[in-house]
Amino acid sequence: MNDGFDAGLETLKNKANDAPVRPAGSRARVFKTLFTGIFAAKPGKSAVRIRLAAFVFLAVYGIIAAKLIELGLRPDPPQSVKRAAADAVAAARPDILDRNGEILATDVKVMSVFAEPRRIIDRDEAVELLTAVLPDVDARELRERLGSRKGFVWVKRAITPKQQQEVYRLGLPGVGFLAENKRVYPNGPVAAHVLGFASLDGIGMSGLEKYIDGQGLAELHGAGFNLTPETLKPITTSLDLKATYAVRDELAKGIAKFKAKAGAAAILDVNTGEVVAMASLPDFDPNTPPDPRDLNYINRLSVGVYEMGSTFKAISIAMALDLGKVTLRSRIDARESLRYGHFTIHDFHATHRVLSVPEVFVHSSNIGAARMALMVGVEGHKAFLRKLGQLTRLRTELPESAEPLVPKNWGELNTMTIAFGQGLNVAPLQAMMAVGALVNGGILVTPTFLKRSEEDAKKDAPRVIKPETSEALRYLMRLNAEIGTAKIANIQGYFVGGKTGTADKIIHGHYSKDKVFTTFMAILPSDKPKYLYLTLLDEPQGLPENGGYHTAAYNAGEVAGKIIERTGPLLGLAPRPDLPTLPFPLLAKLGYAEANQPARGGGEH
Amino acid sequence: MVRILNILAIAALIGSAIYAYTIKYETIFHAETIVKLQHEIKREQDEIGMLRAEWAHVTRPERIQALADKFLGLQMIALNQIVRVDALPDKAPRVDAIGRKLEALGLGEPTNTPANGSVFDPAASSTPAR
Repeated sequence: MNDGFDAGLETLKNKANDAPVRPAGSRARVFKTLFTGIFAAKPGKSAVRIRLAAFVFLAVYGIIAAKLIELGLRPDPPQSVKRAAADAVAAARPDILDRNGEILATDVKVMSVFAEPRRIIDRDEAVELLTAVLPDVDARELRERLGSRKGFVWVKRAITPKQQQEVYRLGLPGVGFLAENKRVYPNGPVAAHVLGFASLDGIGMSGLEKYIDGQGLAELHGAGFNLTPETLKPITTSLDLKATYAVRDELAKGIAKFKAKAGAAAILDVNTGEVVAMASLPDFDPNTPPDPRDLNYINRLSVGVYEMGSTFKAISIAMALDLGKVTLRSRIDARESLRYGHFTIHDFHATHRVLSVPEVFVHSSNIGAARMALMVGVEGHKAFLRKLGQLTRLRTELPESAEPLVPKNWGELNTMTIAFGQGLNVAPLQAMMAVGALVNGGILVTPTFLKRSEEDAKKDAPRVIKPETSEALRYLMRLNAEIGTAKIANIQGYFVGGKTGTADKIIHGHYSKDKVFTTFMAILPSDKPKYLYLTLLDEPQGLPENGGYHTAAYNAGEVAGKIIERTGPLLGLAPRPDLPTLPFPLLAKLGYAEANQPARGGGEH
Repeated sequence: MVRILNILAIAALIGSAIYAYTIKYETIFHAETIVKLQHEIKREQDEIGMLRAEWAHVTRPERIQALADKFLGLQMIALNQIVRVDALPDKAPRVDAIGRKLEALGLGEPTNTPANGSVFDPAASSTPAR
């Protein structure tokens, strides 16, 4: 208040000097002429003098009145410490909620100790006493900070009420407290990769926290708006907290069981593109964020790019079906391995016979998928993958994303290998987007981490395949869960469809024999898909009870099955005791009556 | 006349001064109350925020699951335990077992209680003993 008032007086003086009555010359002369003028006994001039005097008084009072009005209208100038602290105090951030309103991230008020070095009398004593009460403050560093010429330094952020009481009792001059906002994540590591974390100063460093800053919050803070948590609208994410926890829990169990290096799982609503749950392990606790350079903690769904293996066959078959190169009844020759130059493409589960299109999918035939992609050709294949968003970086709300690794010189051999999921590295979330489009009726919906309605999601979403092709894919995935490799995740009551994928990892430029990357995609219910489940495991080991096999069906498939069983009821999916009578009406109309009959038999993985 | 006017003017002056000061002090008082209340509201809001965070922390699924495993001994819900309402069997017809027993014992008939004397109560006969 004081400095403001002083400033006011200063301007007042200046204005008085500028008053129009002032004649040219020094102040003394002005007063002399005024005095002699007023007090001289010259009656003839008295009326003029009185008027002059009245005018002078009027002017002075006018200036005072104007200044008073100005002072009255001006808000209180902030206290000097407050002004310095406003920049330093952690900014308020909006709450982040899950889709049901549960809190994922919120602000709490904490007290922080600050010091004004200029006002500290005995620096050494202050350091000694403060470090005695706050043992985790480094004494030497604190002495340095207190020796600086700054008006304001932090001693320690976020102290406990007990510590505050103790510091208060020290009675040090120039040491005070300020209430700050501290970001807390009550659920710990659950959904950590989606939330990201905010720094001590309230700046989003990764994940949705960074996204929020990008939406104008940082600018508002920068412009000096005093935002409180009450004035900020909470951000509602697409995540379901309980499902996310269940997914993470099952995934952690799966990773432990199969001794995998890492893993990730996600549930995508195929109609709205909402990511309902996701987990990527190993993860971190956003309350104590790790070093962001540690690649072990990356979000394996959006930052890691991988060869997705056989799950890509779904895309290849959809492409061939959609472009009319094959029908469900077409037969593909898989009797012999496919040779191309020096390369030979084998089948992992070699059948050595002519396969129908559903059989190519169910037996996961590399040869069949490669042949189908060749029917489309290199350019057609590229165009289709581009249409499905597999060749460009997928951008969601999460700032962390990765460019897919696309071969530079894309020849026929590349098309053949990419057809069964080798030679093209994409982010798993990207692959989920494509498979989601293949099964949801053919509309490519970009995944989102914010709550969104189906209308909003499909407003600008392009159609990428025909509804019939989409239904054929649903049928194939269902068939695969009935008699094929996805049997393990065929949870009774949910009419699950699925596709496994096992990709050999590239170690030192060669495909490794014993290190694999397994994925599992499941849709449920297959007749009208709502959710797409993805589970992936990095380097799972074969277990003796599975005969030492480490292909996807034995590990990722099992984990996916557990996740489906556990999250289905949480997500409000009612299990159906009976199979739907006519799950694929479009296929029935096209003359594939067998699609609506439950398939039996088969047994190999 | 002038004197009275002067006295009146002085009285009016003193009165208005007193009034003005009263208003002023009241304003200061109210302003202070407002600030105090605002502080209190802020504190309450902060506390609500803290409690919300704490609630979210103690009801986090991880902790609830650990507690449930420890104390409840429940098992994971199986999908065949979830059924639709129309899959439930129909409600069995209501049987008044005690009433039947009493009837079998011959206690259902109306009785003449001494208090009612010989007056017959028709309500007693229409409802069997409960």
